[in-house]
Amino acid sequence: MTKVNVYSTPTCPWCKKIKDYLKEKDVDFIEHNVAEDTKAREEMVEKSGQLGVPVVDIDGTVIVGFDKDKIDKSLENL
Amino acid sequence: MFDTIIVGAGIAGMTSALYAARKRMHFEILATEFGGQFMVSGEVENYPGIVKTTGVEFADKMKDQMDFNNVNVRNEKVTQIKNKGNYFKVVSDKQVYETKSVIIATGSHPRKLNVPGEEKFSKKGVTYCAICDGPLFSGMDVAVIGGGNSALEAVYFIKDIARKVYLITNAKELIGHEYLIERAKKINNLKILYKAETEEILGKKLVEGIRINEKGKEKELDVMGVIIEIGRIPNTGIVKNLVDLDEHGHILVDCHMKTSVPGIFAAGDCTSGHEYQYVISAGQGCMALIKTAKYLARIM
Repeated sequence: MTKVNVYSTPTCPWCKKIKDYLKEKDVDFIEHNVAEDTKAREEMVEKSGQLGVPVVDIDGTVIVGFDKDKIDKSLENL
Repeated sequence: MFDTIIVGAGIAGMTSALYAARKRMHFEILATEFGGQFMVSGEVENYPGIVKTTGVEFADKMKDQMDFNNVNVRNEKVTQIKNKGNYFKVVSDKQVYETKSVIIATGSHPRKLNVPGEEKFSKKGVTYCAICDGPLFSGMDVAVIGGGNSALEAVYFIKDIARKVYLITNAKELIGHEYLIERAKKINNLKILYKAETEEILGKKLVEGIRINEKGKEKELDVMGVIIEIGRIPNTGIVKNLVDLDEHGHILVDCHMKTSVPGIFAAGDCTSGHEYQYVISAGQGCMALIKTAKYLARIM
């Protein structure tokens, strides 16, 4: 089961960077377009306590923004 | 000992690095973020030779160009630059570099409104990056604060996403490029409020409105998104005690991109040109590197 969820918008440059980075590392993830999917938007606000993208949820660890070090650390624990 | 250390990897720093690589100089480029302003820009339509692109596409192209020239941007935060007389020490969070010259291309960051609620609701409806967070305001009413180019670009970007857009400027007229003003004035769901000060950002968990003072009258607007585009502040903290700055904190440079300290050059949005355009920053990055090379030839 995929344990990585990315909350993003289509135009956000840092969202693209995160998705490219996860693909580069061969990590499967589910992408939620929060510009259209209001349920996912609410879920993102609930999880991260904020309304900004990108947000990545790696098996329960919620990371706001493209923080490579935190992403790497959380992926190690997967 | 390095020939030069370039600090910053926006278009100014990357252009310096490109020229440094082609001159086979011994150098490094250090930055915490690759791409600079590209990473917050939507459409780019004014770079000579490129009809239309986006900031992120442009950044990708520059990354390819860096790779092609074997330039590797080191992910390091520069914390201090020391003038040692006939060389410099550039201190990063990972190591210390000794170098004969330095090119500062550290760019700028968004200016804040400094009103109640701004910090509390940052990323909770308040954003400084329209293309990043703007789509989150789909179907909502949004306020864009500012009256210059970036605010006008934000308005154009958000017009089809938001239900209604307010452009709130404290000036009596818009001050951006004419074509941006003309374009904004044709937007049907845009209301421009002149001589209007934003006084507070309101809400509970997320933004629910703003309080403004328009021509002396207090008013509340129900908006769920607030995009702040009121100019930028140069990232010059690391050199403020090293080189001369202007009254706004920009590094004073001459037309050769020389700073007040021989051996330190600067380029891009952190300098005193006060015109924030990709093509200017690229040109300045190029000039800074070529003049650095000439400086090195003279001191050696």
